Amino acid sequence: MAATVKVMRRPDPGKTSYIRATLKGMALTFKHMVNPDKVTLQYPEEQPDLSPRWRGTHRMEVHADGRPKCVACGLCPTVCPANCIRLVGGEDDQGNRYPIVYEIDEFRCIFCGMCQEVCPVEAIHVGVHFENAEYTRERFVYDLDRLMEQDHPTTLLWDPSDPRSE
Amino acid sequence: MPESTHPQETVTLTIDGREVIVPPGTTILQAAESMGNRIPHYCYHPGLSAPAQCRLCLVEVEGAPKLQPSCVTQVRDGQVVHTTSAKATAMRQGVLEFYLANHPLDCPICDQSGECKLQDYVHAEGRKHGRSREPKRVFGRDDFGGDVLFYGDRCVMCTRCVRFMNEVAQDPRLTVVERGNRSVIDTFFEDGVEGSPYAGNIVDICPVGALVSKDFLHKARAWDLDHTPSVCPNCSQGCNIDLHVRDNRVQRLKPRANPEVNGHWMCDYGRHRYEWINRDDRLRRPLYREGGDTVPGEWGTVLSELLERLEETRPIRAVASPFASTEELATLRRVVDALGGGEILFRSPEADDEIPLPGFPQLARRRDLSPNRRAAELLGMKRVGDAEGRGGLESLADYTGTLIVLGDALADMDEGFGSHAALYLYLGSHPSPAATKADVVLPIPTFAEQEGTFINVEERVQRFWPGLLPPEQARPAWMPLGAILARLGAGELPATAAEAFLAAAELMPELMGLRYETIGTRGAILNEPVLVTAP
Repeated sequence: MAATVKVMRRPDPGKTSYIRATLKGMALTFKHMVNPDKVTLQYPEEQPDLSPRWRGTHRMEVHADGRPKCVACGLCPTVCPANCIRLVGGEDDQGNRYPIVYEIDEFRCIFCGMCQEVCPVEAIHVGVHFENAEYTRERFVYDLDRLMEQDHPTTLLWDPSDPRSE
Repeated sequence: MPESTHPQETVTLTIDGREVIVPPGTTILQAAESMGNRIPHYCYHPGLSAPAQCRLCLVEVEGAPKLQPSCVTQVRDGQVVHTTSAKATAMRQGVLEFYLANHPLDCPICDQSGECKLQDYVHAEGRKHGRSREPKRVFGRDDFGGDVLFYGDRCVMCTRCVRFMNEVAQDPRLTVVERGNRSVIDTFFEDGVEGSPYAGNIVDICPVGALVSKDFLHKARAWDLDHTPSVCPNCSQGCNIDLHVRDNRVQRLKPRANPEVNGHWMCDYGRHRYEWINRDDRLRRPLYREGGDTVPGEWGTVLSELLERLEETRPIRAVASPFASTEELATLRRVVDALGGGEILFRSPEADDEIPLPGFPQLARRRDLSPNRRAAELLGMKRVGDAEGRGGLESLADYTGTLIVLGDALADMDEGFGSHAALYLYLGSHPSPAATKADVVLPIPTFAEQEGTFINVEERVQRFWPGLLPPEQARPAWMPLGAILARLGAGELPATAAEAFLAAAELMPELMGLRYETIGTRGAILNEPVLVTAP
């Protein structure tokens, strides 16, 4: 089957003026300069307004005495669909079950928030936070100490006044 | 119904609208279980007496004024039983609510979570919310000695542990103290169950997280563990076990019910000897000697070089291990026979005495501490050395013919062992100093990483299945040995362990007529007539 080719005619550069088009473009630019409804955000001086249900990198809640709230029950690694949580449980000197190793691979995480939802002691949370840049890949595996250091606000996975999104 | 003077052979009753035919004397609970209807229960255990005290297995029997405990009520002809009627369900819900009145609900930190009967039953039939407003009574935890830890708050007072120690171990060390909701399981003396050789079983039979193993404490979650049927390799009793595996490591051993071998039980000696399976220092690749050193090679090149060197005729002798599978031992026997025949020695550890389980006389921790000594003996191999599994190989130290060592780690031999042999072939799973002198080292998996059979002390051949992945290039010894046989024209290379077993049966008349399918998970006694069906 023969291909059908439509030949477009190019405007002749010698006979075409661009002044009209340029003025139209400049007019639009000046209009945006004075437009009060501008969308550009002066990041990082201006910070975006994140939704309270934004699901960002994790944070571990701590007790008043500095121990992690996690009891190493194993539900978050079980429920995690991305298999990004590594947990090794143990017993501390007071006989409490606690995580000896608790690591979250934030690269592998899909930020579904199910770890927070399943946690019976409200220890692990996804956070309202997005600035995660690092210089090495290894730094994206957050260990327990790092998760406990995080201080960004935690996510409300649902609107408390409308928990079923009705 | 007309009265019959003859004792009835069977009883027909109806459970939940389905007719079931069982022998007389069966309890309703067993009859229901035989048709796949598992009535919730705590105090009943098939290996113990039934005190009917947990009140959870109560069912509605038409004509009876009250609900009947199904674990002790025997079936009658024409009986109509309802296990899920409104009355029975409401009763179970009520009983479960009482169980939870003092239960700490600490499932997140409880080791039993995931295999807990209280969790299962409450999840299936319990109330959504408890109504108890009183403070819960608190006992805390108690060290029962040995491997056993007791969390009194989680206990449902089924007294299975007390009855196990009284009836089966016949070593009464536990009892119920106090009354009412203050009643708790306790030991008589400070040392508790310490030193009782079968005490680990009370952890298995505890339906909740009251009795937990110290060894397994916080180690893994029940739902993370893969269960593989296997056979305990720690004595010649051959207890049926399940390997509980996570991350390609055995986390614990649990007994697997087999009424003819170990019932529901296993000894603590066997239960706690599994760490060697998880050893990381393993032979991972075939090694061959190049110059003075052994260097890693590929199976193909190492085997073909080995076969070339085997073609020269030389006297041959071998050392086997009673920890190897029947298939491996039989293939070794065939290789030795094909190369001119020679003596095969093996060494096996022995204990001073047996440790019997009084309430289950078939089961004992046997004197013989190797799982497959019987197969080695049936194959005409000769036991040498002492009760520690050492010595006895002095005659081989300066041996100059072909020497094959299968499985034996040669831990007590000095580094010069086998250095005079014209060809020294070592098949093993772990590196050892004596093995470094071998001309060819072939890596083989442990019993937990391959399929095979053991023949136990009562000549029962039992299968085990692979629960772990073998390290890198380790292959069952019947594979390279079978390749040698095939090259020598003395047999075919078996493709599977089942084929290796059939080849072994040609050598061992005791195994004739047996196949992997007929052995199944229960094992088969040798020299007993077996039903052979046409393939």
